[in-house]
Amino acid sequence: MDELKKEGPGAAVSAPAKEVPLVESDGHVGHTLEPEWKRLPIGPDHILYPVVVGLALFPILMGDAGHHLADDMPDDETHPFFPDHFWPYPIIAVVMLIAVGLLAAFVQKNLQLEPSADPRAVTIPRPDWYFLFLFQLLKLGPELFMALVIPPVVLGALILFPFIDSIAGPRMAKRLGWKSWPVPGRNIITGSIFVGGLAVVALLTLWALAGPQFCLPWIINSPVCGA
Amino acid sequence: MAIPHPRDIQLAVVNWLDDRYPFTKAVDEALYQRVPNFANAFYYCFGGMVFILVVLQLLTGILLALYYVPDASGNPSPAYTSVNYIQSTVYLGWLIRGVHFWGANLLIIMVLLHMARVYWTGSYRAPRELNWMVGVTMLLIILVFSLSGYLLPWDNKAYFATEVTIKIAGLAPPPQLGVFIKDLLQGGSVLGPPTLQRFFTIHVFVLPALIVLLMYVHFRFIRAHGISEPM
Amino acid sequence: MASLLTATVVIGGAPIVIFLWPAPPKGQKKTSIKVSLTKPISQIANADAVKFDAPTSPNSAFIMADGGGDNAAGDLAFGGFVVKDATGKVNVFAINCSHLGCSIALNTDAKTFDCPCHGSRFHLDGSVLHGPAANPLSHLNWKQDDANPNTIMVDGITLGF
Repeated sequence: MDELKKEGPGAAVSAPAKEVPLVESDGHVGHTLEPEWKRLPIGPDHILYPVVVGLALFPILMGDAGHHLADDMPDDETHPFFPDHFWPYPIIAVVMLIAVGLLAAFVQKNLQLEPSADPRAVTIPRPDWYFLFLFQLLKLGPELFMALVIPPVVLGALILFPFIDSIAGPRMAKRLGWKSWPVPGRNIITGSIFVGGLAVVALLTLWALAGPQFCLPWIINSPVCGA
Repeated sequence: MAIPHPRDIQLAVVNWLDDRYPFTKAVDEALYQRVPNFANAFYYCFGGMVFILVVLQLLTGILLALYYVPDASGNPSPAYTSVNYIQSTVYLGWLIRGVHFWGANLLIIMVLLHMARVYWTGSYRAPRELNWMVGVTMLLIILVFSLSGYLLPWDNKAYFATEVTIKIAGLAPPPQLGVFIKDLLQGGSVLGPPTLQRFFTIHVFVLPALIVLLMYVHFRFIRAHGISEPM
Repeated sequence: MASLLTATVVIGGAPIVIFLWPAPPKGQKKTSIKVSLTKPISQIANADAVKFDAPTSPNSAFIMADGGGDNAAGDLAFGGFVVKDATGKVNVFAINCSHLGCSIALNTDAKTFDCPCHGSRFHLDGSVLHGPAANPLSHLNWKQDDANPNTIMVDGITLGF
């Protein structure tokens, strides 16, 4: 057992300790540099190794990784996944847990139950906030068109967007005289579609939130009020 | 006979596993894989947050299922009574139900943020088109999750909101198809106990299985493609 | 091979689809439901209406006689209105809005039925005053109970749950 030597950085603990190279720079001599692998020294003989295995089990089950961008990049432009890339996630998890726990404790309004369902009761159903825009959209035209044509078309465009972008994009770029068809973050057209779409959704949601007293003139069923 | 040190037992186990599967090598490759520095930008973590929240929803969902009764007969129905029981009597029931509820809301926000980031940085582009499609499908599944979960407390709000939802689905032309969809969703000609049974089954058995499967595919694709280039 | 696979899918899938198809619940049967009104029809003023609910024991619902939009003949309603329009003609309407089936409410000031869900409005004779609804309200088949002026008989169904 003593001469356990395995490949890979995780097993380095049982191997003889590496000498840390000393580098002279600007008069500071003898400072320890960042180790080549900035990681916890937990090898197979460490009591916490099962925890590390637990963390690694997930990517192991995910199968072999392909050839990645990081493989071709210089070391100072990359960092190891564990712990350098991983450490924020436990903190994020704890922060989110505390946030939803506090919401559960102090915002009871949405969790309160109404009376048990009775089809004879007169209740005004209002959807959750993320469906409010659809709810409002439904009032703006013939219901069949608004409910069963527009959402599926938008959804279909969303699912097929990579292909729309790669086929129609370069043609549009050629017509406009652009050298390339950039990603939406740098593209006035797809970027505007994104921001515009979000704006429409946000406005519809606000309209619905404004309540039944807030009415605006509209082409059909005028005036249309909030929910 | 000397009692072996726990460390030696652990090493023996690791070695035994290593003889059968390249275990330590796989752990090292998985954990110490290099990640480009640009992936440290805060907006690259939304997907991870979605994953954490989905796990949270699965856990709290299992806990809630220990007390929930999917029976809508009578008034008040056992379903309603059981949710009330969770909320008011079960130790920390308010917390688990509240976390399930608020976790679902936060989950939708995070999914939308993640999707917005992927769109904005063009991460859906080749060779990642399939993963984008898997992702949009998961967004749909999460919306169906929230629609089906909305009915489970079986209070007035749940009942009437679901009635409208089912009626919208039942608008599909021709009318025969609409009626077919409506009856299939409701489990009968009217929203009642069979509807709750169906929505419960969808919410608790069908959708979790689907989303776990799709998340597996999603992560396999990410492993295969690596993190996307900065825009 | 192709036909073998097709046969496997059909033989495996057909029972699943059939299983999903809802069977009518036991104890469900059509009847004529006795409904007590808050006041006899003769005492309802012109351009006024009285709301009534389907009985809860046994759990029952009314059957619509006609319909359009979301409502259709044979659909169920859990409530209704006995309405006298301005000319004194009596109608009995199902409570469901023809848009998406929400329960309409009597607007006593405007003498209309208003739907709280999507803002549809109806005249007291059931015709549409304001969209999104495109079809009039559904009628219920009814007749006056001879023994009691406060009671009407409405076509309906015992739900069996």
